[in-house]
Parts: sequence; structure tokens; C-alpha cells
Amino acid sequence: MTDRFESILDESISALQAGVSLDDILAEVPEYADQLRPLLFASSLLADPNPRLVPEQKKADLRAEYLRQVADLPVLPVPTVSQKSQAIYRIIKRRLTREAVINDLVTIVITLAVTLSLMALILNVLAVEAIPGDLLYPIKRTSESVRLNLTFDAPGRANLADQFNQRRLYEIEQLVAQNRAALVEFNGLLESKGDNLWVIEGYTIFLPDDVRLDPALQEGDRVQVVGFLRTNNVLVADTITAWP
Amino acid sequence: MEDTSATLLARIQQHDPQALADVYDRYFDQLYRYLTYRLGETEVAADLTGEVFLALANALQRDKPPQSSLSGWLYTVARNLAADYIKEKMRTVALVDDLVSDEPSLSDQAHLAHLAPFLREAILQLTEEQQHVIALRFGQELSLAETAGIMEKSTGAVKALQHRALASLARFMPDAGGEG
Repeated sequence: MTDRFESILDESISALQAGVSLDDILAEVPEYADQLRPLLFASSLLADPNPRLVPEQKKADLRAEYLRQVADLPVLPVPTVSQKSQAIYRIIKRRLTREAVINDLVTIVITLAVTLSLMALILNVLAVEAIPGDLLYPIKRTSESVRLNLTFDAPGRANLADQFNQRRLYEIEQLVAQNRAALVEFNGLLESKGDNLWVIEGYTIFLPDDVRLDPALQEGDRVQVVGFLRTNNVLVADTITAWP
Repeated sequence: MEDTSATLLARIQQHDPQALADVYDRYFDQLYRYLTYRLGETEVAADLTGEVFLALANALQRDKPPQSSLSGWLYTVARNLAADYIKEKMRTVALVDDLVSDEPSLSDQAHLAHLAPFLREAILQLTEEQQHVIALRFGQELSLAETAGIMEKSTGAVKALQHRALASLARFMPDAGGEG
């Protein structure tokens, strides 16, 4: 049964107690009439039609007996602020047992751990679609690093690294589509070497004079690129090294 | 000006003689009415009402006064006394044949009057907590919030208890039928 029905029932009981007839109440909520009718009918019988009062003499006798019992109670002074403070101090002192402190610490640590784990999980989910330059992008990369470091079998690790590199390439496409500049990083096949322009994994990369690169790199090698994608979609290399 | 319940409680905790008398004058009739409704016996209800106040005196003597809600404390004592009395007396009631009968229309006032004593016996078949709610809501005509305050429960919990109690009672109502 729903909360709504229980609320309607309670309002109907109040109306009944105020003297509204059963039929009038049911007419107000025809959709619940069948359910309400037996309950309100029972309610109508439950009222105490003639609330009785205890005979005055009996009441007085019981009162006298009670007052006799409390007559000897000493009147206690109203506690001063200082006494209240001392009482609070005593309560805290009693609470500060070794066991209580340990329990509190355990509770705090568990609460913090659960909260941080939840936050990490939520941020991780939110960061999945982040691309370089986004606020959550470092979280995405950190999460990937953690996953890589926790993958101990070589094939699995290589497979994961490849999966993440595909993400890097997809991110570059997203940046180009949005005409955004950002620092990018990926690895790929060195397909063609020119004086200032290299083609790596299908991307033409401009090599400025101060580029740091491994002189032994040959076409067909797999290389790691760190560079800057400008808003004119030119990818300027900063470092090109052999992919381990 | 009359003390609020909280002020009266604070004064009782200090054993203020006037407050100790005031609490009797303020709550005696309410508690008597509650116990009469629960037990249906005026003599016993009066004696048990007196016992509620003796329990208060005893609690104060043992330096264990009510702490949070004066009315809640008094009604809890009354409720326990009622439950103990009912348990001891344990009136077993044969409800079914008398109540679920082929009586004529229940809209007839005479028939309502006829049903009332049977209903009182049916109340005794409810759980003790449901009986308490019924006595507060219908015997005392307290609001839902007041009932919740005395029982130290949420209004939602009281609404649910009230609903279950009425549904149980309704099953014994001929013609009106159960909830389905």
C-alpha cells in the first residue's frame, strides 16, 4: 500500500472525527472508495462516545498518595553554566576510552575510504570522454596509468597500451574537429621522412629546428611522438623517439 | 502562563513541588481516558493511572527522571501497565462467528451499537503497538503528529501502523468487507 493511500486514510479519519459523513468522504476520493470504506467503517466504531472521568474522590486519593511519595524529594538547584560545562566535560571524558577512540578512528577511516573511492569512481566515469585540454583529462590519463601498472602479464599490458594509443589518436581527431590546440602524445609507424615533414601513422608532422629526435630512426620504425597540435591543425613535433 | 511540556519536564527534573503537582493535574485525565479505552474497565484504569504517577515518583527517587518527552514517558508507562494487565488477564475472545455473520445493513445505528462491544474485543487481537496507536488516535483523538511524538516514531510509521490496525479490524466487519 502506498504512502499516498495512508495519507488519504489519515485525512479521511480526521474528517470523520470532525463529523463529516462517511459517504461525503468517499465521494471526495471515488478512486479509493472501495479500499477506504471498510477502514473508515471500522474507524467510525472506534471513537470513544462517552469519555469517562474518574470520580473526584478517587482522583483526589490517588493524587494524595502520589504527592506523599514525592514530598520527600529534595529540591535540586538549577545547574549553573559551570556545572553544565563540567557535566559535558565528564561525558566527553567518559567517552574518551581507548576502545571508543579506536572505534571512532576506524569509522572515520572507513568513511573516508568509501567516500574517496566513490569520488574516484564518479570522476573516472565522467572523465571517459575527456580530450587533451579538458579539466578531467589528467584523471583519464592517471586512471590509464594505474590500469597499465596493475596489468602484469606482458600480452595483456601490450594490448591495453595499444587500446590507449587508439584513444590518443581518436582524441587528436576530436581536437581537429573542434579546432582546438593542445599538447598531444601518441605512438605510430614512421611512414615517411622528409626534411621538415614526417608522416607518422597517417599524420603529417612538422619538425621545427629545435625538435628532439632520435637520429637513428628509420622509415618503418614504430615511434613515440610528443607534440603540439595548433588550431590550424598543424601538428608540431617536440620529441620523436623510438617506441620501446 | 501554563508551562510547556519541556519546561514542566525541566522543573520536574529539579523536583519542583509545584511542577510535581502540576504534572498530575495536567495528565491524569488524559491517561485515565487512555487506560479506560485500552482496558474497558474504569476501576482498573483509575488504579493504573495512579500507578503511572507512582512510577514517576519512583523514577525521581532513583534519580532516573524522564529525559526527553514527559508525555511520551507517561504514556509509555501507561501503555506497559495496560499491556501487562491485558497479558495477565488474557481474555481470549471468540471473534469470528459473532462478527462475520449475516447481519443486516451496517448503516443502521442500532447495529453499530451492537457491533461496538465486539469491536472492542477485536482490538485485543491486534498487536500491542497497534492497540496503542488506536487508543491514542481514536480514544484520545490525538493528531497524527501528537501520536508520533508520544510514540517517538515518525508520522509515516504511525500512519502505517494505523492502516494495518484498521485493515485487521475491518476484516471482522460484516458487509463492509475487507480491503481485498
